[in-house]
Amino acid sequence: MKPAPFAYVRPASVADAVRQLSENAGSARVLAGGQSLVPMLHMRLMRPEVLVDINSLGGELGGIEPRGSETVIGALVRYTELETSPVLAERLPLLPRVVRHVGDRQVRNRGTIGGALVQADPTGEIPLACLALGAQVVARSAAGERTIPIEEFFDGSYASALEPEEMLVSVRLPLSPQHCAFFERGRKHNDFALLSMAIVANRDGDGSWRSVRIALGGVNDRPVLASAAAERLEGRAWDVGDVEEAVRLALDVVDPPDDVRASAEYRRHLVPIHLGRLLRELGGEA
Amino acid sequence: MDYSHEISVTVNGTVQRTRVESRVHAADFIRHQLGLTGTHVGCEQGVCGMCTVLVDGQAVKSCLLLAVQLDGREVQTVESLGENGGLSDLQQAFKDAHALQCGFCTPGFLMTATALQREGRALSRDEIRDEMSGVLCRCTGYEGIVDAVERHLGGEGDD
Repeated sequence: MKPAPFAYVRPASVADAVRQLSENAGSARVLAGGQSLVPMLHMRLMRPEVLVDINSLGGELGGIEPRGSETVIGALVRYTELETSPVLAERLPLLPRVVRHVGDRQVRNRGTIGGALVQADPTGEIPLACLALGAQVVARSAAGERTIPIEEFFDGSYASALEPEEMLVSVRLPLSPQHCAFFERGRKHNDFALLSMAIVANRDGDGSWRSVRIALGGVNDRPVLASAAAERLEGRAWDVGDVEEAVRLALDVVDPPDDVRASAEYRRHLVPIHLGRLLRELGGEA
Repeated sequence: MDYSHEISVTVNGTVQRTRVESRVHAADFIRHQLGLTGTHVGCEQGVCGMCTVLVDGQAVKSCLLLAVQLDGREVQTVESLGENGGLSDLQQAFKDAHALQCGFCTPGFLMTATALQREGRALSRDEIRDEMSGVLCRCTGYEGIVDAVERHLGGEGDD
C-alpha cells in the first residue's frame, strides 16, 4: 500500500458527486479511470483527503450521442469505447485514430475521455484531438453547469480550467470534418509523445481547403492551435510553397520543454519536418 | 468519511466478503488478503503489466484499481487457468513456444491473452503484438510469446 490515507466515497448520482466536491473543495479528487490519478497517488504526487469514485455513474456520464451536427460524449466514456464506436467512426474518425496511441489495451479498457482532458497532459492524444475538433467542455458544480471552449480549458502543464468543486460531465464536439490527419513521434511504443499533431479540414469541389485547424502537442505547456499556419492554408488548394510557409508560421506557437525525452531544440527541429509531411500527405489524400 | 469498506467480490468463482482499506490497490488485495500470489506486482504505476487480471472479463492493471472498486465485480486471476491440476491449452502453448524464461511476466501475458481470445477477433501478428504491448518481458525478446498467442488464437487447441 503506497498512497497516503484517503476517504473513499461512491456517490449515487452526479448531483451527489458535485455535492461531495463542494463539501470537500480543494481536498477531493474525482476518480474516473484512474490510469493517471492512481499512479500519482502511489507516488504521493497527490494526496487528496477524499476520492469521489464516479465509476458507477455510467448512466449519467456514459454514451456517445449524435445531436444534430454535434456529437456529445459522456465524461466516463472509456478509450476502448472511443476506439470501437460506429458513431465516431462515421462522424469523428480522428478520435478512434488517435486513441490507439493512448496507453495499451489494459489502460484503454479503463481510461476515460473526461479523465484525459482533466489530466491535461501536454503530450496527450485526447486533449490534442479535442482541441483540433473545437470541443466544448461541459463542467458541473453544485451551483450549476457551464461550458468551457477547449481553447480556454488547458491552463498549463497538467492543469485545467476546472474549479476544485467542478467536475467534467461531457464533451460536445461541434464538427464532423471531412478530412483528418494525425502524427506522433515517441521514443518507443506506448511512451509519452515527443510531439504530436492533428489536422482537420474540409475540402471544396475545386480542391480548396476550408475550416482548417492544426493542433500541436508536446511542444508547449499545453496543446496549442497553430492558427496562423491554418489561416495561411484557408481557402487555398495548397501547393508546396503554401505548405512551406505554413510550417514556418506554425513555429510561432512552439515553445517546447527540455526534458528527459528530448531537448527543446530537437522538438523544435521536428515540428516543420513532420507538419510539412502530414500536410502534404493530407493534400495528396483527397 | 470512511477509510475502510466492506466489499463483496467474486474471485475465480468464489464470493469473497471482506473489509479493505480505501488506499489498498487491487493487486495487493489479491496477493496479501486473498493469498493469490500468481498475480505479480512490478512497477505499481501502470507500466509493466505484471499485475494484469480480468475484471468483468476485461484485462486491467490491478495496481491501478483500488480494492474497494472491486465491490460487486467478477475477478479472474491466473490461478483460474489451470485445468484439473494441469496446464490449460494457452499455458501449454506458452510452454511449447518457449514463451517464458524467468516467468515473472507470464501471468500478465496469460491474462491479457485470455481476454483477447474471448473477444474472438481474427488478428494479424502485428495486431497481436499491439494488443499484448501492455505487458513487458525482459527475458524472451517477445518472439516466443507472440508465437504462443498466435498459435493459440489460431485454434491450435481450444480453451
